[in-house]
Amino acid sequence: MARSEFDVSQEVEYIRRVQKGDSEAFGLLVEKYQQRIFSIVFHLVRRRDEVEDLAQEVFFKAFRAIRSYNFQSSFATWLSRIAVNHCYDYLRKVRASRLSYYSEMTEESAHELERKAESPPPQGLDQGEKLALRDFVGRLLERAPEDDRLILTLKELEDYSVEEIAELLKLKTSTVKVRLHRARKRMLVDLERWRQEGK
Amino acid sequence: MDCKAIRDLVGQRWGEELPAEALEHLRKCAGCEAYWRNARFLQAGFHALAEATPPEASFGFASRLVRRLQEWDATGARSEFFETVGRRFVYATLALTLALLLSLALPSTGPVRGVAGADFLGLQSRNQASQPDVVGGEIGDTHELNLGGPTE
Repeated sequence: MARSEFDVSQEVEYIRRVQKGDSEAFGLLVEKYQQRIFSIVFHLVRRRDEVEDLAQEVFFKAFRAIRSYNFQSSFATWLSRIAVNHCYDYLRKVRASRLSYYSEMTEESAHELERKAESPPPQGLDQGEKLALRDFVGRLLERAPEDDRLILTLKELEDYSVEEIAELLKLKTSTVKVRLHRARKRMLVDLERWRQEGK
Repeated sequence: MDCKAIRDLVGQRWGEELPAEALEHLRKCAGCEAYWRNARFLQAGFHALAEATPPEASFGFASRLVRRLQEWDATGARSEFFETVGRRFVYATLALTLALLLSLALPSTGPVRGVAGADFLGLQSRNQASQPDVVGGEIGDTHELNLGGPTE
């Protein structure tokens, strides 16, 4: 069995050890959850070179706060909540981004990309077009308000269910649904505005 | 279905097929059709974004973190404790100094301290003059005391 694979009862034991100050036991929890935290941070922040530093800060915060963890939610949810909040604070500090890559494409290739992306289901995109689409929507997401970005990332990129998002953000499921709906609408308005500006 | 209902439906049924009634509307309404195409475009973009793989943790990430935590435990926690205590000490000293300065600066009586003694007494006597006493008359009225004897 790999060091990072252990069951719930072992996890509880490790957490209790960490709560008593055992940082070695925390290392085992880090190994188990590091990829999950890296994924959340990466999709929220979208800066590959900063993911590791931010993830380290998340774990550092978790270690310092672990005495307040009371086993009411799963450790994964508790840790993810710290990651989401940390990234949210980070995003509020670093607000910047302009559409560039997509706008650097020729008009013809941009139209071709749009046509392919809109045809359901998205297929026929070559690797370059996929990258361009990813880059464009990523930048559109970066321009969105932090709340929208957070909820869309968790739903669309991290594939969390509405219920999981509600637990993570400590919201009602109905609130999550409303926010998600509004966030999508705002993204569509932003996309429309950008297209009109581009023409 | 009107345009608003269609747009709400596009948001609600994100990534799903729209009902025939809505598709019929899209065929007639260019605005809603563009809205729906934008939604498909965004969905495709999210799909492409989700496929992007996050970076792997570098080799020894966990052990480096644990080492840092141990260092922090040894020095950081202690310095953090002293920093907190020190900060509280400074705040308490400032509060005490301020209280001391205020007590020295303010006169023992006067408008800043509160209602001045003389004014206060004057105010009280004026208030009392207009207050009815317990029997119902004004203070200063005289009442005969009835001791229960026969009345005429």
